[in-house]
Amino acid sequence: MPIPDIETLKKEVIDSPVWRAVFRGGVWADTPRDRQAHISGNVWLHLHPAKVRPRALKWTYTWGLGGLAFALFLLLALSGVSLMFYYRPVPGLAFRDIKDLEYAVTLGKLLRNMHRWAAQAMVVAVIAHMVRVFLTGAYKRPREFNWGIGVLLLTLTLFLSFTGYLLPWDQLAIWAVTVGTNMAGATPFLGNAGPFGGLMGMHINNDVRFTMLGGTVVGGSALLRFYVLHCIAVPLLVGILLILHFWRVRKDSFSAAPYSANEPKVDVWPNLVKREYLAAVGLVIFIMVWALLQNAPLEIMANPNVTMNPAKAPWYFVGLQEMLVYFDPWIAGVLLPGMIAAGLIMVPYLDTNPKGVGYYAWGERPFANTMFLLGVTMWFTLITIGEFFRGPSYAWYWPWESWYGFKPAPPPTWSVFGPHGAAVLPIALGVAVLGALFTGGIFLPKLIQRELPGKKLLLGFLALVALVGLGGMAAHKLTGLQVGFLLFFCGMVFQFGFIMPQRHIRRLDWARYLVTMTLVVCMMGVWLKMCARLCFNIKYVLTVPAVSMNI
Amino acid sequence: MSEATEKSTAAHAAAPAPKTAAPGQMTRGDFLWAGWSMLAAFFAASAAAGARYLFPNVTYEPSQIFNAGPVSGYDLGVSTKWLNEHRVWIVRTETGLYALWARCTHLGCTPNWFPDQNRFKCPCHGSNYTLAGDVIAGPAPIPLWRAKITVASTGDLIVDKGVLADQPPKRDQPPFFLPLASA
Repeated sequence: MPIPDIETLKKEVIDSPVWRAVFRGGVWADTPRDRQAHISGNVWLHLHPAKVRPRALKWTYTWGLGGLAFALFLLLALSGVSLMFYYRPVPGLAFRDIKDLEYAVTLGKLLRNMHRWAAQAMVVAVIAHMVRVFLTGAYKRPREFNWGIGVLLLTLTLFLSFTGYLLPWDQLAIWAVTVGTNMAGATPFLGNAGPFGGLMGMHINNDVRFTMLGGTVVGGSALLRFYVLHCIAVPLLVGILLILHFWRVRKDSFSAAPYSANEPKVDVWPNLVKREYLAAVGLVIFIMVWALLQNAPLEIMANPNVTMNPAKAPWYFVGLQEMLVYFDPWIAGVLLPGMIAAGLIMVPYLDTNPKGVGYYAWGERPFANTMFLLGVTMWFTLITIGEFFRGPSYAWYWPWESWYGFKPAPPPTWSVFGPHGAAVLPIALGVAVLGALFTGGIFLPKLIQRELPGKKLLLGFLALVALVGLGGMAAHKLTGLQVGFLLFFCGMVFQFGFIMPQRHIRRLDWARYLVTMTLVVCMMGVWLKMCARLCFNIKYVLTVPAVSMNI
Repeated sequence: MSEATEKSTAAHAAAPAPKTAAPGQMTRGDFLWAGWSMLAAFFAASAAAGARYLFPNVTYEPSQIFNAGPVSGYDLGVSTKWLNEHRVWIVRTETGLYALWARCTHLGCTPNWFPDQNRFKCPCHGSNYTLAGDVIAGPAPIPLWRAKITVASTGDLIVDKGVLADQPPKRDQPPFFLPLASA
């Protein structure tokens, strides 16, 4: 029998009644029209448009990040379901099942490694995707709503990670979740330890933390609840939002701007689909190699009574952990993350600049890009501090300092404004000073009509701070390091919290201006509080214990 | 098809204006309002019931009370004997004895006792406490909790973590402090 020609065989298969019954469409002639019909007639591909702008195909425009994040989600679903066959969410068994997966189940270790590393990669991909979308102005009209969905998907990605790492029931698991759920317990009104929680009748056994844990401690009920959330509830919600997200991308069309007027579009099949599949294959290979080379961490079995030292969250939560050093739990753990998420969702409605949609536009959107990148940089700075500058007992260790040498105990902290006995100066003065700083910081940039000479002012301001610093050094009240930090933090805040808004958004309408400036001033406040704690051991700038108001 | 659409639009346009109801009589609009409102109320009540479902009525958690052995068994200083099992330090001072719940008041990690520095230090966010439980550094908002202690007829110390005090003078009096002669 002669060996049939492969092309003939392919045509026979494609034109066979069975193939034609499975895939919609008539006889396949491989024309552009056939390809477009294939995109719209295939359930898997039909979320694609038939044609796209050439720029949307460029790696350096999208970096493929949204697609990679989705591919990672699928990979996580697949590896996660595989792990479920061997895992029982019960305190006495969970840790042993993970050990079995590592040492007794064929390919168990590889699957667990892949699941862990794909989860970390997904966090990176989703954050990077957000940065890309921001920098290309792709959240602007008509895509405002889809940007909001994206922000929700980012928080859900982090929540999936959070619920996921309780499951191995090791020391990291139990203590990360203890800290995380105690933060929920510090929620205003709804948590037993939060401001006004007592007023609402919240106790350890009826508040929001109790609901999350299904008990008062991180135990069996908490493990089961997190398991259900991690494996079913949250992935389901993410799936629904993903459908909405993709559908809106399709309906609002890709953001990529045309290179020139009347530019012809390019076929999605094969141009875009080819690239997507290549990226997905490359990604799977990358995760597999990573999983072969490095094992997912697993600490000793969970001990609800003793914490390991130091206890650090997974890297993407270390920034939050570091922020908890400077602010009370309800501020660092509830208010500020809430403001970050709400602020991100509001960005498209605050940004009235119509320019810079569909390409990287540094010069056209200086304020938006600078503030956004400042926030992202700040988040990763906090992560860097927590990861590399913190040692045993979460004390400050320089990266070159040994964790095993003698370390003097951290100096006692003090508060500036507060009630007699708890602070140096009275509350009333503190409220006046902080109120003046806050309202001044918010209103002043808009009230000054004329554009100020930014560079000169910044230099003058730095000279003033340096003068005060040198005076302090001469009086032996300050060290050189303290003056250095003071220059850095005050300079940052002056430049980004005053000079830049004054130059760029003073003509914004009042409503948008006030919301934007509140977010900017709060971001600057975080810098200032870090400076106060790290350089001057200030616990609270203002403390009013009667209403749990400590900042 | 388009003809049919036109016809139906025409029919709609020609429909008579809704009759106004006689006083005390329910119109179709009122009826629909009432119906939809009841449905909405039903869904709201279901959501509330669903939320209630997430609060368990019975939990299976370890007892908060334990026997910490004879009172006479504690030397001056901090005993970490019960830390691993019951998360409590027994502190014996010149004037008496108290039981500190080893739970950081910041976010609930277990601090470590450093005898050389005379401090409890938390590994999670760096809170530091004195021997008495007062915060000297780090983010913790209030002092460490002291648990209720009683002496059983056998001379054993009974610690109850369900009853707590953190502020003087309450924490320095029974049942949170057991006055004893000099050790």
